[in-house]
Amino acid sequence: MRHFIPGVALSVAVLFGGALSSLPAAAEMNRLDDGDLSDISGQGGIYLSGDISINADGGPIQNTYFGSCSDADKRCGARIAYRLKQDGGWMVLDDIRGKFAFEGLTLRVRTIDSGFGGDGALFNQDVLEIGLPNVVRYDSVQFKLATSSTARPTDPGFQQTDIFSVEMQGDVVLEGNLLVFPTGNP
Amino acid sequence: MTLNNKKSLVTSLAVVISIASPLVAADMTSLEDTDLAGISGQSGITMDLDLKMTADRISYFDDGNGIHLEGFRVGSATDPDGAAHHIIKVDIYNDASLNLDFLVEDRRIEFSDVRLSDSAGASMGGGFLDQTLQGNLRMSPGGALGVDGYTFDLAYTMTDGRLGYRTNGNEVFFDGIDMVVSAPGMTLDAVGSTLEFVAPSVTGNFSIDAIRYSSNPLNHGVSVDASSGSALASYGSLSGDFDLSTATTIAAGGRFGTEGLRIDSETTINSANFIYRDDGNAIALRGIAGQTSVNNLRIDVAPDWQGRQGLALTADSISGSLGIDRIELGGNGKSIGEVDLDYLFADQTIAGQQYTNAVYLMAGGHEDAGAQGLRLAAEWSLVNANIGYADDGNRIVLSGLQSWGRGDVTVNVTRNETLGGTEFYDGLRLGFEGVKGGYRLNGLRVGDDDAPLQGGSELLLALGFYPAYDFEIDGQITLGAGGASGEGLTINSDIQITNGNAALIASAYDEGQGPVAQKGLWATDLNYDAHVRNMTVDVTDDGLAIIKGEAWGTMDIGNLRVGDKETGGSFGRFVIQNYEKGSSMTVSPGGAGDVCAGGSGGDAASCSASGGMWQARGEEGVTIKMKQIFARAISDTRRNSFLWETNRTDGVNGTGTQLVLNDIYTSDGVDLDGDGEEDNTYGLQTDLAIDVYQTKVVKKSDGADANGVVGSRGDEKIMDSSTAAGYRYVASPSSQDQADRPLGLAVQANVRFKELSVNNVDLVHPTGGAATAVYGVKMQNFDIEANLTATPIQ
Repeated sequence: MRHFIPGVALSVAVLFGGALSSLPAAAEMNRLDDGDLSDISGQGGIYLSGDISINADGGPIQNTYFGSCSDADKRCGARIAYRLKQDGGWMVLDDIRGKFAFEGLTLRVRTIDSGFGGDGALFNQDVLEIGLPNVVRYDSVQFKLATSSTARPTDPGFQQTDIFSVEMQGDVVLEGNLLVFPTGNP
Repeated sequence: MTLNNKKSLVTSLAVVISIASPLVAADMTSLEDTDLAGISGQSGITMDLDLKMTADRISYFDDGNGIHLEGFRVGSATDPDGAAHHIIKVDIYNDASLNLDFLVEDRRIEFSDVRLSDSAGASMGGGFLDQTLQGNLRMSPGGALGVDGYTFDLAYTMTDGRLGYRTNGNEVFFDGIDMVVSAPGMTLDAVGSTLEFVAPSVTGNFSIDAIRYSSNPLNHGVSVDASSGSALASYGSLSGDFDLSTATTIAAGGRFGTEGLRIDSETTINSANFIYRDDGNAIALRGIAGQTSVNNLRIDVAPDWQGRQGLALTADSISGSLGIDRIELGGNGKSIGEVDLDYLFADQTIAGQQYTNAVYLMAGGHEDAGAQGLRLAAEWSLVNANIGYADDGNRIVLSGLQSWGRGDVTVNVTRNETLGGTEFYDGLRLGFEGVKGGYRLNGLRVGDDDAPLQGGSELLLALGFYPAYDFEIDGQITLGAGGASGEGLTINSDIQITNGNAALIASAYDEGQGPVAQKGLWATDLNYDAHVRNMTVDVTDDGLAIIKGEAWGTMDIGNLRVGDKETGGSFGRFVIQNYEKGSSMTVSPGGAGDVCAGGSGGDAASCSASGGMWQARGEEGVTIKMKQIFARAISDTRRNSFLWETNRTDGVNGTGTQLVLNDIYTSDGVDLDGDGEEDNTYGLQTDLAIDVYQTKVVKKSDGADANGVVGSRGDEKIMDSSTAAGYRYVASPSSQDQADRPLGLAVQANVRFKELSVNNVDLVHPTGGAATAVYGVKMQNFDIEANLTATPIQ
């Protein structure tokens, strides 16, 4: 039996647009020109493009809680529940759905031995470089943040409070590279 | 020479020929032309023989080292005490040629042991060959190079053949061999001290009804178990046809000492087809062609690099090429694609170590398996290989594959039992003892072998293949007969990899300036312990079906390094444990077919309208469907977990701080079978459809790129062999340009599961102990679809 309590349902529609590309965080990524890459010719690496969709037509569970996306009485998205306290309640990301599309996510190993205002020569090490795609397109990406009394919505005594929901639609511009480098004592 | 003597000689020769034929036709060189001339005009002799012959030992000595064939017998295949029936009609024609029409019925040639003089207590095992033969051999004076040589014309049909290998009462054998062979115009000439044997055309076909296994010592070369009366289990059947030509020179003198044998050969496969069938479903390699050259192969009885005596086969080099037009899988005849390769095995130096190509055959397999078995002390050195794969005409080349190593491989036919503390399983057991080796790929080439070298060998990770790997292997894999039903394979294996270094990302090892240390992302100080029980492999109507009974393992990555595998910075230690019960996988021909990438729609128009790109990926390709059942933990080694450790003291494992995801498992979330435990049958299901296909690659910034090719941000990369770099950038590609988009791997993936849980997430301090950070994670109802294209970075 379903014990779903809507509670506080705060719906937040977040539309990401090209304006995000001017966010300070993106500007700090120090976008490299292709010419800067000349010193890493021959490095291995791949260029990824494509799309990823989550529960476009629902998931594999069919029960009193999960069902088809055409059934308004059921949720067809994915669900993640975790708890930080023994015998405590569960934090939940519920009804996760949506589609992402991107072009030009790159992955390679790169040697930094120049640039970066002189810091590169001092660093002089290899790093893992994740080249961000210029554009990530969000199509009906959504999820709900909730708290729940049980891990599963079908467990006895289930109660859940949806705190807010998020919907994302549009393009996000992500430029630059994410550099992951080892540091400290492994 | 009297007529009787001549008859005797001819009779003896005929017997020898009939025993040795068809494989050793070159041995028939004892007649002289004058002998033949003297009996010209005879109307022929017909001999009806019942042959029964035994020899306790036949020895061959090379520089004082002996190899002994023991328990040698020629006789009936069906009656151990009976004789083989031979009918041989001998004619000598007016051109002085000797013609033998032969019929051999119910013949077995066998030996019980092969021993070396330095290890009399151990044996390589025994073998047997059953034959019913009917054919014709004609030997004419005059070879390819002069009148002193000989010409042979051979044609025969073999039926009801068997070829088997037996150790310690267990055996595997080809059962029901039928073969038709025609080899006209073979010549044998003596050039100085060298024999030159040329077979310009060897054509034929073969079929093998079953590859059988027996664990009953009462069985010997029979199809039906002597105790139960049931047909012996079968790995499957084989068939094929071939059209070959070959030239071989044979000379005296080995690599060690003054005695031995030298062989050089050139073989061309003009055409061939090879088919394996499992309960009627086929893996077919069609349209095979190629050639191979063996340079200075020496055969000696000599010690290996550890001083152990063996039958030594050593070669200066082996090179060649091979192409397969279609690899068909399953009952519907669909093809995965086309494969071609070229290779060169020769001496090379890797990391200061000299490697060559040599195999030393020794007596005795695994030390606990019994007195009989085969040990191959092997050393290999692959200097270069290029492997091409074409999917609907889109070709990608794995370029510059090198491999090297040495170690012992043992071969035993074993049965389910524990001997000397070692567990053995039914089947053909291949053991690995101290095998230390490695391989590395230089990169990818797209289109043809001369295309620019690119990175991107990381794409192979999707198929579980590391771009570079060096390792030490111990363990075993036992191939049992019979699959999930009927014919097929059952595999039990235990593999330990130690001191491994596996590249997840790797740069080229040679960009034309000589070998350099590869940079990349490396799983170093790798120890991997993997076990599989009762895994069945079958060819089904859809393709290849693999069902794991029980599988568990621990991959301990001492350091995940960036840059150089020896000196690169480390992200720390990672330990991944897996424990699966009832997992399965199917491999089917054909990829994703028509795909709307980046959009939605069932046809090109609707896909384009949604912002997607319509891709017709063709008929070929590979589809892999996996179901992984992650079981609950039952011990410290049989569990699913993930550990990340940093801040170790002097790099000693266990002295640092750890993040542990403990007891990861799948579940159906319900107990439908009422056994008191939640069912776990759905697991984590992954479908991968993999094609080689064009993809859209856009320039990410204005200006010149790493190769000096100029373009603007957002321009598309279009392959163009007329340009120096092999490509150009185009702002608005035409339809022709779009047909020249870069090739890569296109993967359509679907991952779904009902429940995936983590029992707890702990933070472990070396002195403070474990503290639980997360008391359980439960993920439910996931169905993730992805269309990804991965192209190499140039």
